[in-house]
Amino acid sequence: MSIVSAFFPPMIACTCLVYYLLPHRFRWGWLLAVSYIFYLTFDVRYAVFLLISTFSTYISGILISNSATAGKKKLWVVLTCVLNFGVLIVFKYLKFLGSAYAVIASAVGIKASSPTFTLLLPIGISFYTFQAITYTIDVYRGDVKPEDHFGKYALFVSFFPTLVSGPIQKAKEMLPKFDEVHEFDYEKARRGGLLILYGYFQKMAVADRLGVVVDTVFGHPAQYQGAVSVLASLFYTLQIYFDFAGYSNIAIGVSEMLGFDLKANFNRPYFSETVQEFWRRWHVSLSTWFRDYLYIPLGGNRCSVPRQALNLMIVSGVCGLWHGPSFAFLAWGLLHGSYQVIGKFTRRFRNGLWKKLGVNPASGQLHVPRVAATFLLVSFAWIFFRMNSLRNALAFIQGMFRFDLPALWNGAIFNLGLSAPEFCAVCIGILVIWVVDSLSRKMDLRDWILRRGTAVRWSFYVATVLVLLTFGIYGEATSTQQFIYAKF
Amino acid sequence: MTEKKALKKAVLKSCAFAAIIGILITMLSPVFIWKTMHRGKLQEGMYDSDDQYDVIFMGSSHMNGGVDPNVLWKEKGITSFNYATGGQPIEVTYYLLKDILKKHKNPVVVLDVFYLGMTTQYGEFSYLSNSIDNMDFSWNKLEAIWNCVPLGDRISYLFPFLKYHFRWSSLQKNDLTFDNASVYYAKGFEASTDRYGKDISSVQKTENRIDIPPESLDYLNKIVALCKEQNCSLMFVNMPCDYSDTDGAATYVDDFEALFNSVADYADEHGIPFLDFYDRMDEVNLDFANDMHNASHLNLNGAYKVSDYFADYLMQNYNLTDHRSDSAYAQWDADFQKSQVASILS
Repeated sequence: MSIVSAFFPPMIACTCLVYYLLPHRFRWGWLLAVSYIFYLTFDVRYAVFLLISTFSTYISGILISNSATAGKKKLWVVLTCVLNFGVLIVFKYLKFLGSAYAVIASAVGIKASSPTFTLLLPIGISFYTFQAITYTIDVYRGDVKPEDHFGKYALFVSFFPTLVSGPIQKAKEMLPKFDEVHEFDYEKARRGGLLILYGYFQKMAVADRLGVVVDTVFGHPAQYQGAVSVLASLFYTLQIYFDFAGYSNIAIGVSEMLGFDLKANFNRPYFSETVQEFWRRWHVSLSTWFRDYLYIPLGGNRCSVPRQALNLMIVSGVCGLWHGPSFAFLAWGLLHGSYQVIGKFTRRFRNGLWKKLGVNPASGQLHVPRVAATFLLVSFAWIFFRMNSLRNALAFIQGMFRFDLPALWNGAIFNLGLSAPEFCAVCIGILVIWVVDSLSRKMDLRDWILRRGTAVRWSFYVATVLVLLTFGIYGEATSTQQFIYAKF
Repeated sequence: MTEKKALKKAVLKSCAFAAIIGILITMLSPVFIWKTMHRGKLQEGMYDSDDQYDVIFMGSSHMNGGVDPNVLWKEKGITSFNYATGGQPIEVTYYLLKDILKKHKNPVVVLDVFYLGMTTQYGEFSYLSNSIDNMDFSWNKLEAIWNCVPLGDRISYLFPFLKYHFRWSSLQKNDLTFDNASVYYAKGFEASTDRYGKDISSVQKTENRIDIPPESLDYLNKIVALCKEQNCSLMFVNMPCDYSDTDGAATYVDDFEALFNSVADYADEHGIPFLDFYDRMDEVNLDFANDMHNASHLNLNGAYKVSDYFADYLMQNYNLTDHRSDSAYAQWDADFQKSQVASILS
């Protein structure tokens, strides 16, 4: 069941109502049932994969805690990782690995062709595999006690608000929450509702509308160039943020309504001064996963400079591939790795340069240029992320440098799938999100709204829902954009 | 506030909020719905006009552009209305007929049976929308939505705003000012003036029979029962069509001629007259190349020939009154002057 389907809001309402009517001891069962029904509406076969991940990591917790020696504990961790990542690799990456082999083999003169088979790819597998593995590793590290209750553990892996596209939860943070007794909190429910509304606005009214232009231009890169290509690239930069942040806000809002407090997954990432900072603000749950479960075990920052650089590149490359089985995703990841390596190891030199120019690098003077530069670097990298192949990405980039500035004012931009009123609407939408993001830095905006009088609040609620229903991209008459991150 | 009180408050306020949104989008729906001939004719013919009809025509696009009430009026003074819409599944025809018969009493019901040959469970999205979205809200409309629309789409038929909201960027003055009565003169008929230019590829003749698809049969039985209950005479009709145009289409039976043999048997069994114009093309002097606008639809010329034949047939076989000399029907003369057919008869 897609979150933009008409069934989702009533499903949430029903889930919350029954949740709070049930005694605490039955609530885990209700949420587990809802989570599995939610997942099975995509495809009943997906349950097999979810159960493999759930069962294997659950058992690993018991085996690790019952193992007498560190060696044996490590063995169970390795075996569990091999099984879970093995399933992920086979069903998500086998075809890519076959293609990679074919490319390498052809380069050295061996005859090989790219595989043509298609395997079932369960939606959300990358998310829940990572989430489940946190349990195995957290038990190994002693950060969380092994969970006896299989049902509660299964709920941790399958928790429906975060199952398909995150935010990825860590076992040590999430498991204890299922033992909390949640009393219905009217204020919390309202706050959750507001966040859900905002998430839908980001996704349906703005991201999906940006996607119309993005799909047109990125779908036919040879037909477009210059300013139009640049515009589409900028639109994609915004689309992917609004789409994913929107989904995350819906997931966090739903969880909040159920009494579960989840951390924010995005923190105004495009206002970052460095790419390193960007990764502290973008898809926070994934970047902290990579930090805690890959980068630090590799040595993190506590090793030689070359080794640090290598660690960054490894993590970035894996992160790229996590997003998709293609060279384009790998390139995207390695580009970000390169940005960080170069940024990290040239910082001293650059700061020295600014000082020589009479600019204090620690002052706020460089904030805007740094943010702009980081935005451009990140935006450029997104081209590889969006394109399905390296070749297409490079062709697109080449096209961007063919001069065609008049396209911005001769009406060409209104032939990309959005009419002038729709273009206007998307610009207003971007402005609204920018204002909300900016205000959220200084105040609790939800609290401010909830403190207004009844007439003002209800007018706001009604207006927001009408805006969503009018300007949102949904329904059979316009194609519904699936969440960009759901295919991971 | 106790937890129970808080939960009760949340539920009540949520329901109130949902109701407010439901009311608002229901009020906005008429603005966003497509303003088409289909909308105008169904709204006028079913609800707004006070005219009573001697004969009503029901069915698909074959009927929509097949029988012209203005010809029946001109030739024999018969009052009639054409409620057919493109791609209208037989189950939708049933629910439309129920609404029509609430206000219009004892007409002769002429049913185009082409869509008995539909084999899919549900009709196509846009065709369903053209008909159901133009029904006024009623228990009958709810039944139509429940029975004729796939589960995932039903909410958008209950609240058509959800279906047409995307039109916000292309709304025109017409969307606020559209007058259903402005198309009433056509009495629901609309045909192309294009000429197909090709003869029928083959005239299929067979003694075979195939079963009427179960869902179609179920609703055909319901239509027969409804007409009996409402004391309406019922007759079946099938318009000229090149069946090879639909051969291999996933949504229809493989052998239309065999199907209509079964329909003829059904009609005989129930004492229902059946005019199959596929077998009577010579009788109406139909020139396929010039009287059809494509392989399966009559053009204005062809519709005139069929309608003229129909006018005679209805007068001879049903107890109908010629209203042409009745001054109460003067508007029908005025409407004829504006009709498509007036341009070819003058």
